[in-house]
Amino acid sequence: MIRRNGLSLFFLVVFVLALAGQSFAGLGAYNDDQLGSGGYPVSWGAYVTSADFVVDVAENWQSEYLQFLLFIVITVWLVQRGSPESRSGGKGDEVRPGSPRWARVGGLRNMLFANSLGLVMGVTFVLSWYAQSVAGTAAYNREQLSQLQDPVTWPEYVASPDFWDRTLQNWQSEFLAVLSMVALSIYLRQRESPESKPVGAPHEETGTDT
Amino acid sequence: MGLALPVSACAAGGGPAVEEAAGRFFAAVAAGQGAAACALLTDAAARSLPEPCATSILDAGLRGGPAEEVAVWGSEAQLRLPEDTVFLHRGPDGWRVRGAGCRPQGDRPYDCEVSG
Repeated sequence: MIRRNGLSLFFLVVFVLALAGQSFAGLGAYNDDQLGSGGYPVSWGAYVTSADFVVDVAENWQSEYLQFLLFIVITVWLVQRGSPESRSGGKGDEVRPGSPRWARVGGLRNMLFANSLGLVMGVTFVLSWYAQSVAGTAAYNREQLSQLQDPVTWPEYVASPDFWDRTLQNWQSEFLAVLSMVALSIYLRQRESPESKPVGAPHEETGTDT
Repeated sequence: MGLALPVSACAAGGGPAVEEAAGRFFAAVAAGQGAAACALLTDAAARSLPEPCATSILDAGLRGGPAEEVAVWGSEAQLRLPEDTVFLHRGPDGWRVRGAGCRPQGDRPYDCEVSG
């Protein structure tokens, strides 16, 4: 059971550890700011339920899900010669023994299933980005008030430099990471990794479904 | 002074507690109880006033009044009065005044008679 799901379990564990680590490091930084601005430090429980923690989490989540959404959807139309991340042709819709039930039926269920990965990534991206905007408004307003400045409304915040700074600083790093993976995987290899072409594959070989 | 309020750590719905804390602060000022008013300031705000706080807080020209608008965001709050804007911060023993006698300065921070 554990061995058969090792990949998922590994990332679940490191995700929880990293999130816990972020909560303690974030609490330290938050309390430093509080003391520096004449306020009082808060407990770990108060911090992890605060808008400041939620916005920091959500801004990273939305960018990760956007990255996968784009990766999944853009690779339908655009190709990169030589990259194993690019498709080389063929839809792969052929039904065979063991195909999921919704792949064997037609109509709406087939259409939904055939696009379900992109749909779930897309919906999660939108929800995370919305959560970032709501929590960001609250965190920004708390900081505004602590600096004796007026709070803003949600539309004002969504148009503010703070919202777009948080958003774009995450997006640019995700786009660079995808670019690096697409381009470097043309010429570089990682033995036995399904994310890499086989070591002996020609540089020109594109996709994994040849 | 025994004026601290047992305010919960909940971020939402702090409006009445904020109004009550500000009301007690301005009531103390109006009654000439400088020490009681100073006890309702954040430590930083109290330190920002010339010593002794109990005297200088009464000379700051602060006037209270009915709350026209309350904004509470996490551990910070802003209370608009007819002739004043007040900023409060929630500490372990409840809401305390961090800015009073504040006038707007456009996009810049309010200019306050008491702030910290």
